[in-house]
Amino acid sequence: MFNTLIPQVSFVVLLSFFGVGAIGALLFRKNDVISNGWSSFFAIIGSLWGLFFSIVTIIAGHNLSFVVGKSSFPRLALSFHIDTLAGFFIFVISLISLFCSIYGIGYIKHFYKKYDIGVFCFFYHLFIAGMLLVVSASNGIFFLIAWEIMSVASYFLVVYDRNEEENVKAGFLYLIMTHVGTAFIILALLLAYKFTGSFDFETIKLGAGLIPLSVKNIIFVFAMIGFGTKAGIIPFHIWLPSAHPAAPSHVSALMSGVMIKTGIYMMIRIFLDILQPIPVWWGLALLIVGSISSLLGVLYALTEHDIKRLLAYHSIENIGIILLGVGSALTFLSLGMPQFALLGLVAALFHTLNHAIFKSLLFLSAGSVINQMHTRNMEEYGGLIRYMPQTAMFFLIGSMAISALPPFNGFFSEWLTFQSLFQGVALSGFYGTWFFIVAAGSLAFTGGLALACFVKAFGVSFLARPRSAEVAHAKESSFSLRLGMWALATLSLLFGIFSGRITLILQEIGRGLTIFKNVPSFIVVSSRQSIAVGNDFSFVSAPIFFSFLIVTFLLVMFVMHFLINRNQKVKVGATWDCGTDLTPRMEITATGFSRSIILIFKGVLRPSIQHETEYHDSESRYLSRSRTVVLGVQDVYQAHFYQPLRKAIRTLSLRVKDIQSGNINLYISYIFIALIIALFSVL
Amino acid sequence: MTIFVWILQLVLVPVTSPLCIGIIKKIKAKLQNRQGASIFQPYRDIWKLLHKDEVVSSDASWVFRYAPFIVFVVTIVVGASIPLFASFVNNTGVGDILVIVYALSIGTFFLALAGLDVGGGFGGFGSSREMTVSALAEGGFLFSLLTVALIAGTTNVFSISSSSMLVHGQSLLSITLAFVGFVIVLLAEAGRFPFDNPATHLELTMIHEAMILEYSGKRLALIEWASFNKLFIFFALGSNLFFSFGIAQGIGINAIAMGISALFIKVFIFCLIIAILESSTAKFRFFRLPDLLMTSFILNVVAISLIR
Amino acid sequence: MLLEIVFLTIVFSHITRKNFGAVLAYSMQSLAIAMVIFNSFLLTGATSLLFIASLVLLVKVIMVPFFLARLIQRHEIKFSVSTYLNVPLTLISIAGLVAVAHSRKFAPLTSIVPANQLLLSLALSAMLLSFFLIINRKGAISQIIGILSLENSIVAFAIFAGLEQSFSLQVGIVSDVFIWFIIATALAFMIYKHFGSLEVTSMKQLKD
Repeated sequence: MFNTLIPQVSFVVLLSFFGVGAIGALLFRKNDVISNGWSSFFAIIGSLWGLFFSIVTIIAGHNLSFVVGKSSFPRLALSFHIDTLAGFFIFVISLISLFCSIYGIGYIKHFYKKYDIGVFCFFYHLFIAGMLLVVSASNGIFFLIAWEIMSVASYFLVVYDRNEEENVKAGFLYLIMTHVGTAFIILALLLAYKFTGSFDFETIKLGAGLIPLSVKNIIFVFAMIGFGTKAGIIPFHIWLPSAHPAAPSHVSALMSGVMIKTGIYMMIRIFLDILQPIPVWWGLALLIVGSISSLLGVLYALTEHDIKRLLAYHSIENIGIILLGVGSALTFLSLGMPQFALLGLVAALFHTLNHAIFKSLLFLSAGSVINQMHTRNMEEYGGLIRYMPQTAMFFLIGSMAISALPPFNGFFSEWLTFQSLFQGVALSGFYGTWFFIVAAGSLAFTGGLALACFVKAFGVSFLARPRSAEVAHAKESSFSLRLGMWALATLSLLFGIFSGRITLILQEIGRGLTIFKNVPSFIVVSSRQSIAVGNDFSFVSAPIFFSFLIVTFLLVMFVMHFLINRNQKVKVGATWDCGTDLTPRMEITATGFSRSIILIFKGVLRPSIQHETEYHDSESRYLSRSRTVVLGVQDVYQAHFYQPLRKAIRTLSLRVKDIQSGNINLYISYIFIALIIALFSVL
Repeated sequence: MTIFVWILQLVLVPVTSPLCIGIIKKIKAKLQNRQGASIFQPYRDIWKLLHKDEVVSSDASWVFRYAPFIVFVVTIVVGASIPLFASFVNNTGVGDILVIVYALSIGTFFLALAGLDVGGGFGGFGSSREMTVSALAEGGFLFSLLTVALIAGTTNVFSISSSSMLVHGQSLLSITLAFVGFVIVLLAEAGRFPFDNPATHLELTMIHEAMILEYSGKRLALIEWASFNKLFIFFALGSNLFFSFGIAQGIGINAIAMGISALFIKVFIFCLIIAILESSTAKFRFFRLPDLLMTSFILNVVAISLIR
Repeated sequence: MLLEIVFLTIVFSHITRKNFGAVLAYSMQSLAIAMVIFNSFLLTGATSLLFIASLVLLVKVIMVPFFLARLIQRHEIKFSVSTYLNVPLTLISIAGLVAVAHSRKFAPLTSIVPANQLLLSLALSAMLLSFFLIINRKGAISQIIGILSLENSIVAFAIFAGLEQSFSLQVGIVSDVFIWFIIATALAFMIYKHFGSLEVTSMKQLKD
């Protein structure tokens, strides 16, 4: 009994850490330093506790269901259900919040004296607590409350820097979109309630057979729209590129690395756990959605020269990749091949973890740069590697991880995703093979385009000569910032090298779901840490690759330096300048770098170019005084989807306004007619 | 014996690749009615460059200084991970098609960064073009390898080369289509016609050369050698994955000797093809290249669908 | 019989052109209601009913009409202004509403106490007619009267449906009347001051 009580108690303790942190921060808000210290202390302790709790849950294979207290509302029950899947997501949340909080200690100092630190820390703690509640709630209404807490807390964090007009607008858009998504989620839950009679997830799962197929399909569509809005799939992504840059950097890292994953968590929970069995087309639909999101995400990222917007679009791309894994899992499950489905799920979960790590790393280092440069525009960076060498190194590691270069962790999760897609392509006699081919093709192109985008991002920001005078004032980030980033970079490498061990653990986590309970193992990890899939269809070994690379590198360096090149001198000179002066204008810009790709994909991106010339003499138009070229990319979603929707709603509202004529008699006649109708229908 | 095989596997690519380039140049010269340089000239060039002094730009950072080493090491690692003359070397765990594709991308990544690092205009647009071509070629590359992987039932390149392809008579069409797609990607990634002219002197037409414009001395030697290696790697992949005749299936002096000679013959045929291609066609305009790469991708998709 | 008086007074309020007449009709109606409650007291013997009856007598029969009359006099609104529907149409609507109330559709409602079915139907039609009065008339005084007679008909309905014992009903009636009429007079006063007339349509200017 003691044994079973401890996990419940420790989870409540976990939540209370964040609660104490929140309230304490609010109490101390008069004093910036104390509230920062208090909140950081509790955030770090809470994250460590969360890490510990989730690791214990995963290793011991706990499956906890408990209710805390009694609520006064009939259908609301404060019930939690923490199985290994929820434990995994708690692990991800705690890991990222740990490093973001460490980073935040130094980062928040920039907001001293400008804004209220206590309020910020209050919402920060509320946000993390909200996310923890979301992944552990087991009652529909309780889940919605937690979802709302998470969304509203993150809204306040997004608009924290409220002196910038665009931050407020971004926050407003975010609030609207998240509530639209929540509306769809509520509809889906209500439909489930209608047919199973309960809001409790366990009860719905047991009664899933009672829901007719057509209703299940509607629930699928609503849930996909609702959770997809939070996760950021195209075309419901429009809030992401404005909201993530607006928030302070470590909040952006949390939002991008963890919050959008809660959408994925609920999709996995509902589609793989609660609503089983499901039709095949759900998985195929998710494959298509994932392909589109990943390709379009990376293409839009290429068009950006605001560094945080670029990273935000890459989050959309990676969510697409995760959805490819989830989609293949759903498809295989409906086809009755659970071991392939387990592979897909493991790939998706691994990519969730990896993306959380390297995206946070990228956001944190971008945040350090922005702090020093006071602008998010990449075109004004350049040569920062000289002034912020460690930050540059961390950004480089993040770029290599997100472009799926071995031996970092991104490669291995994409490898697993590819494997599950390859299994789908290898299926015979199934029309869905085409969907898998499309998915694999989009994943292949996404990898290449992401690589191009990060060459641009890293190269333009950190390499070559400074493009603006501000660069010379940049200083290396402070200690806590570097500590947070360093830890994430190391994790990136370690999770890559030990991906075999991690894949095994993830497979056990996947087995925690009811449908995968007794599925044979499709992934085998040998003693030499090599991951083998399906009777040696493929295998890869991370440590061997890594050691091979390092050994060869050292060998070549040794040979070059000591055997061949002993007496040669290395002189430092200027870059070849064709005889002109070397100015920043000679370097390539971020816009120019990606212009080729944008023109190649102009059907999708619709680039535009406008020329404006000002002449000395407008009559003869010979000598031009100045020439402006504006390169743009049309926002197709705004133009074709959201604007017409907005116009339609506005027209409808204007029409409806006519009911309000101002005449009292008319209003009372409304009441009268309503009364008659009510009486008629009741009697 | 196994030690000997391992060492051979490791050094075959770097040792033989300059010879390959020399042969291509010689054939091209003969087709142009010239004598041409000796086929061992690339070796002399590399030796010369290794012993020269270097000038490094003042704007360059450690990325510029270390990129040649990283690029070269990547080509050696990948060269040792593909079947050259023997298909029984298959338990290294790095012979997976995805590992090969993405490991080569590491090289591309650092080369592009090096091009950006010096802050000259040519390096910048060279990197831009290189990344564009490489991003679009990756789809075709992966899918051509995937086609043969699906036919052979494994993604380990050694196992693919050990399963005799043409036994699967019904997949002949798929293999041919995938091979054509692969050749297009080979031309793209190795920087040959019609994607890039390796002998050009006009900076505005360069892709690969533009990125390495600032290099000199031993770093230039390493980069040139790495590009030779990359070409040879692609040749070896094309020969041994699609037409794996003569590859050594078991350990034994005769088998290995036959494997090596089979490899040389196949590589020579490739050199011939490349030389003839470069002498008879012109380089394409840059914005026609994506069409070619998408053709490669589509061919491979068609090949996969025809596998049944 | 008392209920018929109630009914007829409402119909009269619909037709009359003078405000004063409507006020008088209302006071008659309230008197009838008081008598009904008194009757009920005599039947059941609950003292609360006696209390209520006297209260209704005091407030509704005497005070309210008095105040309304004072209002009319002060602002000199002798004549009720026009209605939306002219008289023939008004009568037709009245007939229609009464028919609806007596129809079979409403039988479940009016059969709560089967013995009193006709009476309940009558009370229901009185309710509907009061509502219609509010809608049809443009003058504020008529609308006030309409609401007050709606309340009276609800009381009548409740009594004949056997609900008169419920304390909440009685308290509700009394307090409701008191407060309502205070607010109504104040509002009418203010509207008059602002718009120069008690015509409700002038409030349209408040519309956005």
